[in-house]
Amino acid sequence: MSGGILRREGALGKFYLVYKKLIIALGLILLLFVLGELTVSNFLSLGQILLTVKLASFIALFALCQMIVIAAGGSGLDLSVGYTATMTAVFTASIMDAQNANLWKAVLVALGVGLAVGLANGLLTAYVKLPPLVVTLAMSNILQGVVNVYTAGHAITGRPSPVLQIVAAKTTGIVPNILFLLALLAPIVMVVLYRTRWGMKLFGAGANPTAAYLSGVNVRLVRCAAFILSGVLASLIGLLLLGNMGIAFKDMGSNYVMPSIAAVVVGGVSLGGGDGNYLGVILGAVFLQTLTNLLVALGWGDAGKWVGFGVVLYVLLIVYVGNRRSR
Amino acid sequence: MSRRNRRISPLGRFIGKSEFSRLAILAAMFTLTAVLQQNFFETKAIVRNINAFMPLILMTMGQAVVIIAGGLDLSAGTALSLLTCVLTTVMKKSDPLTGVYALAAAFAVAMAIGVINGVGIGYLRIPPVIITFATSYLWLGIGLFLRPVPGGEAVDWFRAFYNAGLVEGVPAWLKAAGAVFPPALVLILIGCALWLIVARTRTGRYLYAVGGNNESAYVSGINTAAVQMRACLINSGFIFLTALFFVGQNQSGDARMGDPLTLRAIASAVVGGIALSGGRGSVFSALVGALIISFVNKIIFFANIPNAFQPLFGGLIVVLAIAGSQAYALSGKRSVEAGRLP
Repeated sequence: MSGGILRREGALGKFYLVYKKLIIALGLILLLFVLGELTVSNFLSLGQILLTVKLASFIALFALCQMIVIAAGGSGLDLSVGYTATMTAVFTASIMDAQNANLWKAVLVALGVGLAVGLANGLLTAYVKLPPLVVTLAMSNILQGVVNVYTAGHAITGRPSPVLQIVAAKTTGIVPNILFLLALLAPIVMVVLYRTRWGMKLFGAGANPTAAYLSGVNVRLVRCAAFILSGVLASLIGLLLLGNMGIAFKDMGSNYVMPSIAAVVVGGVSLGGGDGNYLGVILGAVFLQTLTNLLVALGWGDAGKWVGFGVVLYVLLIVYVGNRRSR
Repeated sequence: MSRRNRRISPLGRFIGKSEFSRLAILAAMFTLTAVLQQNFFETKAIVRNINAFMPLILMTMGQAVVIIAGGLDLSAGTALSLLTCVLTTVMKKSDPLTGVYALAAAFAVAMAIGVINGVGIGYLRIPPVIITFATSYLWLGIGLFLRPVPGGEAVDWFRAFYNAGLVEGVPAWLKAAGAVFPPALVLILIGCALWLIVARTRTGRYLYAVGGNNESAYVSGINTAAVQMRACLINSGFIFLTALFFVGQNQSGDARMGDPLTLRAIASAVVGGIALSGGRGSVFSALVGALIISFVNKIIFFANIPNAFQPLFGGLIVVLAIAGSQAYALSGKRSVEAGRLP
């Protein structure tokens, strides 16, 4: 983005640029912890931190969907992840009915839902060339409509299978199990994005679509695939959400949409596409969850949370994305 | 060459224009609604329809100005909600004078909203969808601060923005006029007048230049940032007018009531022929688009669809409308231009 990449130290400069944003994210988290410890008693206890990280891991998972779509470029963003997850959770709760034996059916339904939503998003954005934000916002409304129709017909019944509950809700010792999942997922994501041909194509389509096209990358297909992947991931996260909460309800996923995008921005991923450091995104998710905790502890509730997120996102967009013309 | 210059009658030229297809669609929707709604031409029904359509029309006109200038405002709906919260928080039912304070406060907030969006879009050149997505949560949060649950109070004379007949002590002739000529229509006409004035100024032309090609507008010496800022401020003006109507109608504020209007306004603008890429269309095409979407909703209402299905159909219509308009626009271009390239 800025001239730093093009300076003589080349790779080293870029390295510094990447780390600079990670350091900023870490610094922001520490700042919040200090502020929290100063204003709220018992903010820095181990249990509190582990709970924060557990809640943050759900934001981080949703943020992975965003990061993939953003990395593919074309000002991609996926606002439909929240209701995709909600729809999957609502549909699969009764299918699973608290039986491990029914888990495979639930996973199949989740894959189907994710594939359908992602494909629709991908086709409308990559091939009909509509702005991703508008398409996915409309898609989110449609999914909300479907959930409403479904719940108007019958009550949401059923519980997640025990395996899902163990993965998403339970702890091993004091460490929440979902952290192990994230610890497993993060390296895989990093390797796939930075070390495989598919990752290269994804970043290429985001960084310079014309160059990618001229070197034989089917840019539209890559962007469509990114949306499909995002939809499938969001749908699977819906299963985890269900496992964590124990029941499915109408708006269970919608509160994660804004944080997932903010986490990507806080994590220092360029919204123009072409990069995707998932470690930074995880730090961003932790930062946002800590901010939420602090604002809730101060008694500012929902209003404070949204104002806080809005301010953080606005300021960081100015710092990271702002591109003032020099005169 | 000679074939190019062949004389086409004015009527033929009109039919060839893309506006024609949209007006034809509007006429068809109008006729269909008139057939379905039995008392469509009675004054009462007309007034009711105008009241029902008015918020979307004004919001679309505001949105159109921003889109023409190369932006997009995802925060319009929550900004509207915030303004209703501000109005109903400042007003005390017992004291008519608080209404004036509320008007001033809400106008100031509306302008602040325009400035904050305008700085992000114009001066800092952050992608409009993303920056207004961020600010939409700002407005939502502030709205929730003021009004955690829907409610609040409004002075009695504020009803004049909805129906002059409901206000006590209004002269009889004004009541009679209000029954035929609803305040909602007056607000729409104020909006139209606002645009007519803007379109006559240099800013009006600059809006198209900046939206069409920001770079070349900039190198031709146009202060593109200031122009986009003005677009955001004009949009805020339209949102302010809509908020007056809402509070006049409901006498209460709600931090979440405006949300669905954002997307419907964008869809209406696209259906009206305003390209999301900017630089094309006019606020009057926004009017046509908003009317088409409103009539479609009305027709769906007559189709007797169960309540639970209405949001679903609303969402589907938005997607179909936007995708259809875009596909239509793409099919008109030469295939190379329409984009082998991403």
